Amino acid sequence: MGWILFKRALRDLKTGFARYIALSLLIIFSLFIVISLMAAADTVIDTTEISDRELCCEDGEFSVFVPLRDEELKKITDHGVTVEKMFYADYEINENQVLRAFKVRESINKISLIEGTLPISDSEAVIERRYSEVNNVLIGDKITIGEKEFTVTGIGATPDYNTVIKKISDTVVDSRYFGLIFITPEAYDELYASGCSLASEEYYYAYLLNDVMSEDELKEILEDNTFDVDDVDDEYFKEYWNRMTERKDELLDGIDELKDGADELADGAEELRDGIDEFHEGMTDLHDAVPDLTDGIEALDEGAAELESGVKAYTSAVDQIESGASELSDGAAQLASGASELNSGAAQYGEGVNELSGTVGVMAQSEDPYIAGVAAGFVDPVTALATGYGQIQSGIAGVDSGAAALSAGAYQLYSGIKTLNSNSAALRYGAAALHAGTTELKEGAAEFAEGIDELYDGSKEIKDGSSDLAKGARELSDGVNEFSDEANDLIDEVFNIDLSNLRIFMTKADNPRIDSAADDVQINYSASIIFGILLVVLFAYVISVFIVHTIDQESAVIGALYSMGVKRRTLTLSYVAVPVIVTFISGIIGTLIAVYTPAGIPAQLQDTLGYFSMPKLDIIVKPFILIYGLAIPPVTAFIVNVLVVRNRLVRTPLSLLHNEQKAVRGKELKIKGMKFIPMFRLRQIMREIRAGLTVIFGLFMSLLIALMAINTSVYCSNVKNSYIDLTKYEYMYTYKYPTEEVPEGGYEAVAEGFKKEIYGYTFDVTVLGITKDNPFFDTGDLPDNDSDVVLSSSVANKYNLTVGDIFTLSNDKGERLYAFRVARITDYTASMFVFMDIDRCRDMFNEDDDYFNVVFSDHPLDIDGGRLYSTVSKEEIARSSGVYVEMMAPMVTTMSVASAVVFLVVMYLMVKMMIDRSAFNISLVKVFGFRNREVRKMYLDGNFYIVAIGALISIPLCKLIMDYIYPRYLVSNVGVGVTADYPPVLFAAIFAVIIVLYLAINFVLTGRIRNIKPAEVLKNRE
Amino acid sequence: MFIETRDLKKSYGEGGSFVQVLKGISIKINKGEMCVIQGTSGSGKSTLLNCIGGLDDIDSGNVSVAGTFVEGLKGEKLSDYRRANLGFIFQFYNLVPNLTVRENIQVCEYLTKEPLNMDELIDVLGLTEHQHKFPSQLSGGQQQRCAIARALVKNPKVLLCDEPTGALDSKTSRDILVLLEKINKQYGTTMLIVTHNNSIKNMVDHVIYLKDGEIYKDYINETKVPASELEDL
Repeated sequence: MGWILFKRALRDLKTGFARYIALSLLIIFSLFIVISLMAAADTVIDTTEISDRELCCEDGEFSVFVPLRDEELKKITDHGVTVEKMFYADYEINENQVLRAFKVRESINKISLIEGTLPISDSEAVIERRYSEVNNVLIGDKITIGEKEFTVTGIGATPDYNTVIKKISDTVVDSRYFGLIFITPEAYDELYASGCSLASEEYYYAYLLNDVMSEDELKEILEDNTFDVDDVDDEYFKEYWNRMTERKDELLDGIDELKDGADELADGAEELRDGIDEFHEGMTDLHDAVPDLTDGIEALDEGAAELESGVKAYTSAVDQIESGASELSDGAAQLASGASELNSGAAQYGEGVNELSGTVGVMAQSEDPYIAGVAAGFVDPVTALATGYGQIQSGIAGVDSGAAALSAGAYQLYSGIKTLNSNSAALRYGAAALHAGTTELKEGAAEFAEGIDELYDGSKEIKDGSSDLAKGARELSDGVNEFSDEANDLIDEVFNIDLSNLRIFMTKADNPRIDSAADDVQINYSASIIFGILLVVLFAYVISVFIVHTIDQESAVIGALYSMGVKRRTLTLSYVAVPVIVTFISGIIGTLIAVYTPAGIPAQLQDTLGYFSMPKLDIIVKPFILIYGLAIPPVTAFIVNVLVVRNRLVRTPLSLLHNEQKAVRGKELKIKGMKFIPMFRLRQIMREIRAGLTVIFGLFMSLLIALMAINTSVYCSNVKNSYIDLTKYEYMYTYKYPTEEVPEGGYEAVAEGFKKEIYGYTFDVTVLGITKDNPFFDTGDLPDNDSDVVLSSSVANKYNLTVGDIFTLSNDKGERLYAFRVARITDYTASMFVFMDIDRCRDMFNEDDDYFNVVFSDHPLDIDGGRLYSTVSKEEIARSSGVYVEMMAPMVTTMSVASAVVFLVVMYLMVKMMIDRSAFNISLVKVFGFRNREVRKMYLDGNFYIVAIGALISIPLCKLIMDYIYPRYLVSNVGVGVTADYPPVLFAAIFAVIIVLYLAINFVLTGRIRNIKPAEVLKNRE
Repeated sequence: MFIETRDLKKSYGEGGSFVQVLKGISIKINKGEMCVIQGTSGSGKSTLLNCIGGLDDIDSGNVSVAGTFVEGLKGEKLSDYRRANLGFIFQFYNLVPNLTVRENIQVCEYLTKEPLNMDELIDVLGLTEHQHKFPSQLSGGQQQRCAIARALVKNPKVLLCDEPTGALDSKTSRDILVLLEKINKQYGTTMLIVTHNNSIKNMVDHVIYLKDGEIYKDYINETKVPASELEDL
């Protein structure tokens, strides 16, 4: 049964031959590209590895001021390290072309001949392959350098110049203007002796560690090497050296001053210690006196308490006295009042007595003797009475007066006692306050005592500390003295490093010239694997949509087979057979074309060969690539289709027999007020949502490919344009041996080079101190503080930095870290510069106030070539900036076309299938009387919204994805910091292209709708 | 009893759309019998056939075919049940369009270890000269014969026919019925034929008439006539 159903699948394949051929061609094309890229990458990577081994690629290289002496070389080679001279000198030939001359190598970085032979005679030469290709230099051609003519006997490549760049910091290879020439040692010497080199000879050595020591150990040995300045012929170096030695003297003076200062510090510290000792003694006395003080205060407090208590008793008594005095005063007053009344009574009595006396007198005088006798009898008593009265009156007056006095006295007493009492209250309060005060004093004394204790302890520690300080200061002084001695040695060493033979030490891993092709294609390899699978998934899914369509059509048949006992697994396998067959055959064809035709791997290798200087490449096809090409497509198709088909076949036989359409989505859709045709269109979209999503998926994949191409194009043209637009200087001179004076017309700068890693690659970043009046960089006012810098946009873009970020750079050994805050970002892309004020830069890197090592100018300056590392002109920058555009143009075109084809095919097949699925309905609505235009609106035009919405979502999404991928994976190895930002019009253009492609498909398929006849209704109904 | 249902109930829908299609059907069919299930549209005859064939779940009751209880069978076991016991014939044939007549039959030949002789079957069904044609190249009757051959090739114990002549003209219908009769005699296949054609009942052993989901009539046809003599097909 399986075979029979398989036959059904084959016939299905035959029925849909055109569509499967279209898809198959896409898969073949995709696989062809992917396999070509992967195999080409493998070939480059493996060839690089093999040639590195066979040609003895260096483990690293170093350059020196003067050639190593034999004993110095022996010291290294005795360890087992292999070292070979890689001396070179640059020569200008023709116009603007530079050839770097090397002696033919013997044991390291050997030449891999592409054709021809190595030079034997002094007039023969081997030319580096890229230079020979670009400049059409062939074997037998003559090359004239200075006055010496060489015949080209061979064309080759060396592993140490896989990327043929003049300077390590160069970002672009331009073999039109720079190449290598290898000549015999004798010819090399003769040529250099002729004096026509552009600059002095560079003394580079390549080494192979042979597993006998580490890079650091070798570097340490090399750093120990010194040389005699007199051995150096370079007059510019000597001049530079003399200036440096003057600086050395300044440093030594500084150290002497430091030494004196340290001595003074030690003396001062000792004096301080003595003073503190005295202070501590005083403190000790104070500390000892504190207990007495606290005891006294405690006694005082107790006395105050007693005083308070006494004053309280006293005031209480005074209160009582006051009360008594008051009563006394009141009694005295009553007494006085009584006395007064008594006095008054006495006066009345006196008057009575007087009257009586008068009466008695009168009576005594009376003629009546009786009366007179009687009266006479009363005269004496009355007189006595009167006399007594006088005495009484006198007494009472005295009493009255005394009582009044007593009253006044009593009152005064009371007043006095009252005053006393009021005073005694103050006394009481005072006594209480006194006691409270003494209590606080007591507490304060306790705290004081504690404070004194602490002070005492502190003083003791200060004493100990001051003693240590004095000791330390003395040790410091001794140390500074020792430091002074050491510093003198160190300065000698430092100046030996500057003197130092070791100018540059670079490991293979840090050398951007080595193995860069392998790094470059590694990205192709990874991207190809992912894109290949994604494309196969897309195509497999497209096929699955057809399969689902077939299943829907054959629903009743499947139901019948189920009802007979045929199992789902069997049917699933039969439906999956087509996509598996299609993808498998396509995979085979794509892989075969990639592997066996010149358009495949060899063509992809041209990208590498057109940029890198590679040895001869023998195509390597690893088993994984064959497995990928042959197995990934059918396996992916199998998985995708099993997932889709199984889901479709999980229905009951009855449901299948009745052809119940699970996928009739949107039938419930009803939007109030919507007209019939828009509503119908919306339902049609919902009904065909699977095909619609496939179109969007296809669109998404196409856009990913397209945006990769566009990103590449924009990136390259941004490099080209921004390099030219933003480079305002005409010349940039980098000094090897700076002069004291800035050449007239030039703007000096201080450049300090660093290496910084990102995404696994390390690039040169230069901190550039420039003067405020430098007209070539639009940095604005350079920040005044030490940490703020202005970044070139190249650095900001490459390292994803924005204003306010902290950016760190460390020196070679990583022992010193410089942290900068990004204050501003300025548009400059040709180099990775970090701008700062020149004076701050000099301070930061401990350079003299007048130091500079770079000069910019807008015209050529008269600077001796021997002083310079390099001269970069704007013209050179402009020339090299266009290389990327030229190099990437074929790839951009291929990818753009490929993406359009993918979109067109997927779109065409899906929309065509939608029409086929709806053929019965279309014919039916035609029967009803709908015109072709209306039918098109109902069944075809809805796709416009799918495409438009899909594009509106996919374009920014793909751009975001590509912007994430691009710098991290696709140009992570390129030392260029430009963005691939699109102008808004480009987004609009991409959208417009998609719509145009859609309209083209729409136009083609409108004809198909026109061809569906009303009679289809009858034909298709069983 | 070869085929037996007991108090078989089946309903569809819920709430307002609830329909009780079978309201406790109990039937018994002997082995080798040709049985017609008749009834008006919506009487439940196809549902009864589907329940017996395991194509539809039952709500309650029992269905037993050749000693196998169908209710409770799920998934693979249900497939195995159909594979071992049943052959289906549908009104619209349901042939695989891109397989020839022979290949369509072969699809089911592999479902059993002891299939009928393919060539003999093709010959019996009069398809010899058409065996390499595709369904689209055949007439309706030929297609139905192919469907019958496909159902028979695995030598099923029961042949379930749902309106086997529903899409055919009178002459072709008779041919198909004659053929079924012949197969019944030749292979002893038990047949359940669902039809609304009133004449077919005359050629079978057993007639069941359903009305509104219940058995209206269930009788043994004592006066059966050969299919070739049927009228008003």
